[in-house]
Amino acid sequence: MSYKIPMGPYHPALEEPYKLDLICAGETVQDAKLHIGFNFRGIEHLAESRNYIQVIALMERVCGICSNIHTLTLCQAMEGLTGLTPPPRALYIRVVVAELERLHSHVLWAGIAAKLMGFKTMFMTCFELREKVMDVLQIISGNRVNYSMNRIGGVNRDITDPLSILKMVEALEAEMFRTVIPIFTTSTTARLRCAGIGVLTHEKAVSCGVVGPNARASGVPQDLRRAAPYAAYSEMEFDVPVQQEGDVRARLLVRALEIMESCKILRQALTKMPPGEIHTGDSKIAFVTGTATSRVEAPRGEVMYSVSWKEYSRNPSRVHVRTPTFANMPAIRWMVIGARLADTPLIQASIDPCYSCTDR
Amino acid sequence: MSLIDSIPEKLGSTEPWVEKGGVHWLTASALNVRDLARTMNAMQARFVTITAYQLPGEEGLRLEYHWDLDGQLLGFPFVLTGNSIESIYDLCEAADWIEREIHEGFAVDFLGREYEPLLLRQGDKPGVNLREEDE
Repeated sequence: MSYKIPMGPYHPALEEPYKLDLICAGETVQDAKLHIGFNFRGIEHLAESRNYIQVIALMERVCGICSNIHTLTLCQAMEGLTGLTPPPRALYIRVVVAELERLHSHVLWAGIAAKLMGFKTMFMTCFELREKVMDVLQIISGNRVNYSMNRIGGVNRDITDPLSILKMVEALEAEMFRTVIPIFTTSTTARLRCAGIGVLTHEKAVSCGVVGPNARASGVPQDLRRAAPYAAYSEMEFDVPVQQEGDVRARLLVRALEIMESCKILRQALTKMPPGEIHTGDSKIAFVTGTATSRVEAPRGEVMYSVSWKEYSRNPSRVHVRTPTFANMPAIRWMVIGARLADTPLIQASIDPCYSCTDR
Repeated sequence: MSLIDSIPEKLGSTEPWVEKGGVHWLTASALNVRDLARTMNAMQARFVTITAYQLPGEEGLRLEYHWDLDGQLLGFPFVLTGNSIESIYDLCEAADWIEREIHEGFAVDFLGREYEPLLLRQGDKPGVNLREEDE
């Protein structure tokens, strides 16, 4: 006999609302149905009533974790419609902020994953580290969540002393290598709790169009920083960690290894940052009629913005956002089928979902 | 011939790719969306999304289908004369949620599939989200 267990919209593991109806036979999940939309704010529609400055502030609020990524993607699309090319220093600063945001996101996720594994000491350690990453972001931008760094044709704030930021990043890196990375890559607790559960096969990852670390944990080696470089990523040397198992442990490993790669990128960007202007300095911006599309590798995977504009208009005529969790979430159904009910909160959290992004 | 250059021929199109706004566009009036999905599947391209646009006046709607092929973003526009187009959900699982979202947002009917509410939690009337009223 099967029965339905509704999980959510107040989720046992995550702060944001969504609902999963689990069809179970005993303790085993037979099927699942996902319901989203609890955070729907109509942001795409709101964007059509905002001018080219206001729309950046609006889209920064699509997500509370990867806020910078949204403005970066939007600004890149708008630069395509204005013909403005950011100066090299601005492109490096965009890389620095994007990688700090990735660190912040991955460490936050690692903390939540640790809590769900019953490893609360690790949760505290991760959140302490996350605070330090946010301290660095605050020094650079003056803000801890919505950094307001991106503008059309560059960035709003300079990193005046990259080497002092580098010292902070190195201190962070050392602490992560001492605590987070060994725990998630070698500890028996993490291995026993995560190995073999929530498996997303390579075939399913491809057919569901899964992106980011979730795809890479199922053997799909896609990363836009490598495949379609933007900002200054073409000048950075880094590896794209890929695992084949597709289980929660693989997703854990990919993100842990990505933390190391992010530190590597940050070191290069801060060391090689070229001198010069941080934006084009244009105060009046003219758009051409048309649509421009931009894609960026966010902490959770590919973000895509399609922006349409009409010449002489101050507002976009359409802004469409495809967020990574929108692509990743349907795969949860395939991850939980056959799993034990008790494992489902961790499996759901293992994709690092963002419902604010998904619902917009 | 590169992978991307072989696509128009496979789709029976003589139109060239046009690179614009970060996308390689292929516009072909006789293009069938299901043939397109089959071709993209055969080429192991990754489905990215569908973007819907409401055109001015009585011009209807335009849907832009996007796939990623080795880091290149491909775009295929379809102008809808009515409110419907064939669904590709059965061929491309990744299109499920975006078809449901466009159905709710723009009242586009993707033929050959059923819908469950995705974004809007109340009310059954589709198209109340992004589509302008009385159009």
